[in-house]
Amino acid sequence: MSAFSGMEDILREFLVESYENLDRLDQQFVLLEEDPGNKEVLASIFRTIHTIKGTSGFFGLGKLEKLTHTGENLLSQLRDGKKSLSPAITTDLLSLVDAVRGMLRHIESAETEGPADHADLVSRLAAHTEAGPVAAPAPEPFPTGEVEEHLPSIQPLVVVELPPPPPPVEIPSMGKILVESGAAREEHLSEALEQQAAGDPRHIGEILVEKGAVEPVAVKDALAQQQENRAREGSVADSTLRVEVANLDRLMNLAGELVLVRNQLLQFASRFDDASFNSILQRLNLITTELQEGVMKTRMQPIGNVWSKFPRIVRDLAHACGKQVRLEMEGKDTELDKTILEAIKDPLTHIVRNSIDHGVESPEVRAAAGKSAEGFIQMRAFHEGGQVNIEIRDDGAGLDAEAIRRKAVERHLVSSEVADQMGDRELINLIFTPGFSTAKQVTNVSGRGVGMDVVRTNITRIGGTVDMQSERGLGSVLKIKIPLTLAIIPALIVKAEGQRFAVPQVSLLELVRLEGDHARKGIEMIHGAPVYRLRGRLLPLVYLRAQLGLAPAPETGSINIVVLQADGRPFGMVVDEITDTEEIVVKPLWAALKNIRLFAGATIMGDGAVALILDVMGLAQQSHVISESRHEALAEMSHAVEDNGEDRQTLLLFRVGDSHMAVPLDRVDRLEELPAESVERTGSQEVVQYRGRILPLVRPSDHLPERRGERRGGDGQRPQTLQIVVYSHEGGSYGLVVDGIEDIANENIQVRREATREGVTGVVVVHDRITELLDLERLALKVG
Amino acid sequence: MAETKQVCTFFLNGLFFGVDVTLVQEVIRFQAMTEVPLAPRVVSGLINLRGQIVTAIDLRRRLEMPDRPAGRTPMNVVVRNADAIHSLLVDEVGDVVSVDESTWEAPPDTLDSRTRELITGTHKLQDRLLLVLDVARAIRFQAVDATLRDA
Amino acid sequence: MRILVVDDSTTMRRIISNSLRAVGYEDIVEAGDGQQALQTLDGVNLLLTDWNMPNMDGLTLVKTVRSSAATAQLPIIMITSEGARDEVMEALAAGVNDYIVKPFTKETLGEKVKAIIR
Repeated sequence: MSAFSGMEDILREFLVESYENLDRLDQQFVLLEEDPGNKEVLASIFRTIHTIKGTSGFFGLGKLEKLTHTGENLLSQLRDGKKSLSPAITTDLLSLVDAVRGMLRHIESAETEGPADHADLVSRLAAHTEAGPVAAPAPEPFPTGEVEEHLPSIQPLVVVELPPPPPPVEIPSMGKILVESGAAREEHLSEALEQQAAGDPRHIGEILVEKGAVEPVAVKDALAQQQENRAREGSVADSTLRVEVANLDRLMNLAGELVLVRNQLLQFASRFDDASFNSILQRLNLITTELQEGVMKTRMQPIGNVWSKFPRIVRDLAHACGKQVRLEMEGKDTELDKTILEAIKDPLTHIVRNSIDHGVESPEVRAAAGKSAEGFIQMRAFHEGGQVNIEIRDDGAGLDAEAIRRKAVERHLVSSEVADQMGDRELINLIFTPGFSTAKQVTNVSGRGVGMDVVRTNITRIGGTVDMQSERGLGSVLKIKIPLTLAIIPALIVKAEGQRFAVPQVSLLELVRLEGDHARKGIEMIHGAPVYRLRGRLLPLVYLRAQLGLAPAPETGSINIVVLQADGRPFGMVVDEITDTEEIVVKPLWAALKNIRLFAGATIMGDGAVALILDVMGLAQQSHVISESRHEALAEMSHAVEDNGEDRQTLLLFRVGDSHMAVPLDRVDRLEELPAESVERTGSQEVVQYRGRILPLVRPSDHLPERRGERRGGDGQRPQTLQIVVYSHEGGSYGLVVDGIEDIANENIQVRREATREGVTGVVVVHDRITELLDLERLALKVG
Repeated sequence: MAETKQVCTFFLNGLFFGVDVTLVQEVIRFQAMTEVPLAPRVVSGLINLRGQIVTAIDLRRRLEMPDRPAGRTPMNVVVRNADAIHSLLVDEVGDVVSVDESTWEAPPDTLDSRTRELITGTHKLQDRLLLVLDVARAIRFQAVDATLRDA
Repeated sequence: MRILVVDDSTTMRRIISNSLRAVGYEDIVEAGDGQQALQTLDGVNLLLTDWNMPNMDGLTLVKTVRSSAATAQLPIIMITSEGARDEVMEALAAGVNDYIVKPFTKETLGEKVKAIIR
């Protein structure tokens, strides 16, 4: 029984409103330190604490009321200039904010204020306050006990921004409308207003009509106009709504399901050839995509929501470390899915802490190095290529690649041979390896929180990547790329004992297929565990069948290895078959099945069947394939037989039908576009006249064994112009016909030798996509 | 006046069972399902029910009865409980019947203890005994995973 | 009988509005600060306002309302915090008809409203 109806809702609203105000306070305090006399900021801080105090009384939150009351007294003196801000006062006021937040959290989770009464803080705040007549009279009686016992539980809420409202309009009074429209005269209006002021309870319109000063119909019109104005004004205040996160989740799930149905329908429709049905389907397709994007948008929140606490963190930390740090933020409005935002909160905090603790030098060291005494940290966020990029940059000491190399070898994270092959950038990224820490000594800052390996694990878990770049003496920049949303992910579909499993592509490094002799002898046993020698490094293996408790696969003469990465360590998963890649909608498993660590969820495939999604991290943990001891043992034994640099190749990426393919750029002579009608035939071979010679054309899809579900290029409708990649082989030129040149990639791409199908030399992952490397020699032979 | 309750009935290993009809979402033919390796053996697999992934529970195994003879396909009784949807695999589906206090009876001593734990009560109907299944309990077995797992 | 509730805190506005409804006043309009309140005054029979608000505070709102002939007689109740004796004196001087101290019960609020509009 509470004193007011709907108290549960109101308490929830109170918590949300207070959190929002408190988050803003952290920033305002930092502003205040720079400009201690800023009246506006002081008044705003005062108001927040004052409002919490005033409201807490209604909920019978006595401790909260007392604490905020003390803070309010001090703040009012600061605001009125009776007292000036000192660092000690700021620190205590910040503690006040923390204490209030703590109480609110306690109320949210445990439905009471919690045991702490913060008596110390209260007395410190009171001590700062000038003695004066601030003693409070006894408050009016209020039924507190029961309210406190029955505080309702709180559901999380998210604020949804509605489209920007029209600029506020001043609503003219009824009299003004009548005079301006010419329906009434100014002097009549003044008389009527006087009459009203003298106690006439009627509306202006009524008085004027009675006086005969205006037509009733004019009053009616004016009334309508006034209502319209008011409605417009109303929308100013109503431009945001609070929505329960659970509701958004439900909408998100439904939109995901609609996507599935749409996919199934598209697959079904390909069997028919009905123009009107197809055009309806096309519309459904568009609307579904838009709906899904729209729903996703409602879950988007600006990264500024998480960043708002950083000015405070940076301030506290810089003080603690005796450093001077200026924080700059760029792209606060960059939006991210709420779930992802939650997930990056802790990693970001750790990264920023690290930058201050280990990156930015003390003022003396900086001065000696000819830098400004004040260090600089920049947080930057922006959208690019369907991903969110976050960069944290500092102008500190930077990382010492040599020191990292020594330490990594010392700790057996890599063998010295492997380390010698590594470039600076690769070495620097070793800081993400578990068991690595660059701190020369444990400071009270690095003592808390997680290591950089956990940062990477957390980012990887949500489908992101991290990359550290650094220049000695100049600073470091850590770049994070994360997806906009988690609900739909690209996955590789593999098979074990006829059953399909989805492997999230974010964990995928490459695919290896062993045939013939390789299949029989390629897998060695070391310390009783299977490994494969991949470009000189020993890759530990797990058999998916064994992990699933299934019988071993019969000998087929070939072995498929999916090279995955967990915790930054590669391992191979042996599967029966690798089929395809698909965009899948992730659905949770029933709670009782969640304790099977091998599965991250389930999804519905294009053909309507359910497939389980493998949890790569769970698989690695269950099988101990990447355990510390095993990893170290293998690192010792690994020999880098190939120069790492040789694995870097510049690739020309193109599309053939639905497939992404590539050839080494140095094999390409020219790219040409030729009209389709220039194609001639000699026998069954297509050729074109090219620079005075006959150029045989190679259509990759004609020569590659077909894969199930693959849509071939062209769809029977051949384009007007042909895109041709011209290359040479044994003195002859050949023209590879492709459906679209996509890009050139020259990042660190690891190419493997073994093929997944004939005509393909290997498979690489470029831009998160499975890309097949075409076997140019073999294709040349096919047409030669 | 006794309170009447509608019960959706089905058969399992010759026994006559029922579940509260308000919990039953639908009854469907046997569906192709995806097995879940490593899952407790009472979990038959996952079904795609109009875009929703539903866990199918074999009631014979749940009640520790012998497995269905080979070649006999079960039926799905889809039940909704506490926001989750499950499919209960049964041998055959019967009619919806009404029961009330007048037909209530204590479970017979011959009933094994496993079945006794999972029913809310029994009703004497003309010639046979109806065992009313406790759905919430039937689908709750995380805690006993290990004992239900295949050895 | 239309009542205008002015407070920058949405929580407080809801508490006050709910309390008013609980004691039988249904026609309630809300404003988030003094400036919004001035634009919402039309047809209002009673003004309930908080003191501390951004843009325009309660005291300025009261003074502005009193200075306009159309609203000079509008009944006003100021909502204040306990211990804000100076505020109360200042508010009364500016022309509020009554004040109420937070936290209050809906009964207290109901009595004050009833007394002032009689």
